[in-house]
Amino acid sequence: MKYITTIDGQEFQIEVIDERHIRIGDRLLQVDFESVSGQPVFSLILDGKSYESFVYQGEEDWQVLLRGRLYPVKIEDEREKRLHAAGGGGVAEGGEFLLKAPMPGLVVAVPVNEGQVVEKGQVLVILESMKMQNELKAPRAGKVERIRVKAGESVEQKQTLLSVH
Amino acid sequence: MFKKVLVANRGEIAVRIIRACRELGIQTVAVFSEADRNALHVRYADEAYLLGPAPSRESYLRADKIFEIARKSEADAIHPGYGFLAEREDFSAKCVELGIVFIGPKPSSIAAMGDKAEARATVIKAGVPVVSGTEDVGNMTNDDLLSIAPKIGFPLLIKATAGGGGKGMREVKSIEEMPTLLASARREAESAFGDGNVYLEKLVEGARHIEFQIIADTFGNVIHLGERECSIQRRHQKLLEEAPSVFMDEELRKKMGDVAVKAAHAVDYVSAGTIEFLVDKDKNFYFLEMNTRLQVEHPVTEMVTGVDIVAEQMRIARGRQLSYTQEQIELKGHAIECRINAEDPFNNFVPSTGRITHSLIPTGPGVRVDTGVYPGFEITPFYDPMIAKLIVWGETRAQAILRMRRALEEYRIVGVHTNIPFHQTLMDSHRFMGGQFDTRFVEERFSMDDAMETRESHAEIAAILATLVAHQQSERSAHVFRREERDTSNWKWVGRWERMHR
Repeated sequence: MKYITTIDGQEFQIEVIDERHIRIGDRLLQVDFESVSGQPVFSLILDGKSYESFVYQGEEDWQVLLRGRLYPVKIEDEREKRLHAAGGGGVAEGGEFLLKAPMPGLVVAVPVNEGQVVEKGQVLVILESMKMQNELKAPRAGKVERIRVKAGESVEQKQTLLSVH
Repeated sequence: MFKKVLVANRGEIAVRIIRACRELGIQTVAVFSEADRNALHVRYADEAYLLGPAPSRESYLRADKIFEIARKSEADAIHPGYGFLAEREDFSAKCVELGIVFIGPKPSSIAAMGDKAEARATVIKAGVPVVSGTEDVGNMTNDDLLSIAPKIGFPLLIKATAGGGGKGMREVKSIEEMPTLLASARREAESAFGDGNVYLEKLVEGARHIEFQIIADTFGNVIHLGERECSIQRRHQKLLEEAPSVFMDEELRKKMGDVAVKAAHAVDYVSAGTIEFLVDKDKNFYFLEMNTRLQVEHPVTEMVTGVDIVAEQMRIARGRQLSYTQEQIELKGHAIECRINAEDPFNNFVPSTGRITHSLIPTGPGVRVDTGVYPGFEITPFYDPMIAKLIVWGETRAQAILRMRRALEEYRIVGVHTNIPFHQTLMDSHRFMGGQFDTRFVEERFSMDDAMETRESHAEIAAILATLVAHQQSERSAHVFRREERDTSNWKWVGRWERMHR
């Protein structure tokens, strides 16, 4: 299987030939690849050099934490790449912005009201988590549409708190 | 002479205290919230009792329940650790009243140092230098503070009188932004300490945060165990501490140590405590506050002095003299502590929660890890994000840094994000290596992104790793699919076989 793997705009053509061999560009490499006790920690021995890293699957991309550095990685196989090229177009900009809880916690205050016009950087919600109060701010100007939480409520991570239009 | 200690805390510090008790042959009683049933301190203690639901207010802050458990378990001493009830005068006073030994200072010392405004007044009387600010004790209204602010001058700091750990603290650059910041500081202080009182202090620019560990016995002996450098902070939360400080020389150490001892004497101090100072570029130093408890960062002092501070606290609480005189305290080598927090350094240090599925703790020469978590343990949003302290010792600061780098790379925690990559980046920073930093360094002159740019890139290796994992995953899902196909045919095969043998 052939893959096109992108890190920071740099493309790598990687072909997985079998369990022991890959081709990157036109180089044939011998790999010894193991998951460490079934965890997202992986050990790779590549031509005698030993590496260990965390590999997580994010929402859109993969994340590799290797020697203290984080690499966001995009992986497409040949078919996906063709599909994307054919599809084209971007995601619609603007519209509604949903403020989501970046972490689980307790809503301390919601210093805005529905229908209120807010500026960029204005505090929308104060969320307490792990003993710290975090001010969640508006990423752009707009009008507060719907407030779905109130002070004193516990929220889950990624729960929608309010929307700004 | 007490025989059984109730540890009124959780996490790594509860484990640390239980360890000291075990070594001294003292029985231990753990208390825990519903979220901590499987915590390490519960597993290590001789006895363990449930306090209540997960939120601190309903568990670790319930003094009444803790006293009830002490009575039931016949514990004759209480160690409060840090945070929670550690600096509550009423808690310490209640211990005295009930005839339970409080392993810490007297209620009067906690009161004198606990209210930051009163602490300033006390040490000023003892001739200890302080940063200029509001000298008034007690309830100052926003109007009072707003009228005094221009006299102190900007930039200044709003600080919680009941404060500590950077909570309820705000930096103010101008009078215009002050009302909003006052409101948010009071709100945070109210929620953290149940007391929304604040005071003002001039912001010393380019300052280092250097603190002195002191220990005092009931015979009036007070000694200091040298300093700790705690300037590496983010949002007023310490992230890394070391001992000794690169900024210190023998003369300054002697001068500041004497002042620290003087401040402790001023409040008739007993047990372990810390005097925090701000030190400016010209080596002028100012009293900041006294922490009347064991500190998170006490291990770095233990590593360079060889003194077991918790064991010494037990000894003092048992009414014995200090094991050391000032002359016997010698600083040997260099120690660094990295606070390992469950937070994502690549995403604005957002706290991270979840179950720890895998953990590989660094070991080897000169490495110590104090932690309360292990694989299978759940990190909840109810408590502090600090899940471990990684401490190393080296003969020199350079050796300690190299050792810390090695240990950080070995440390694997899976299940939550941690700030280990932040510490790795810091260890590679030239300014850190050169000892050129103040309390603003992390926030103003350090960026994970910039550091990432200069770090050696292994992009190709990362690409190979991610591709192999993705490939393995798609292969595996294909396998499952194929197995289902075969299963169907197996059933067909069984059907035929049964028909044949009917």
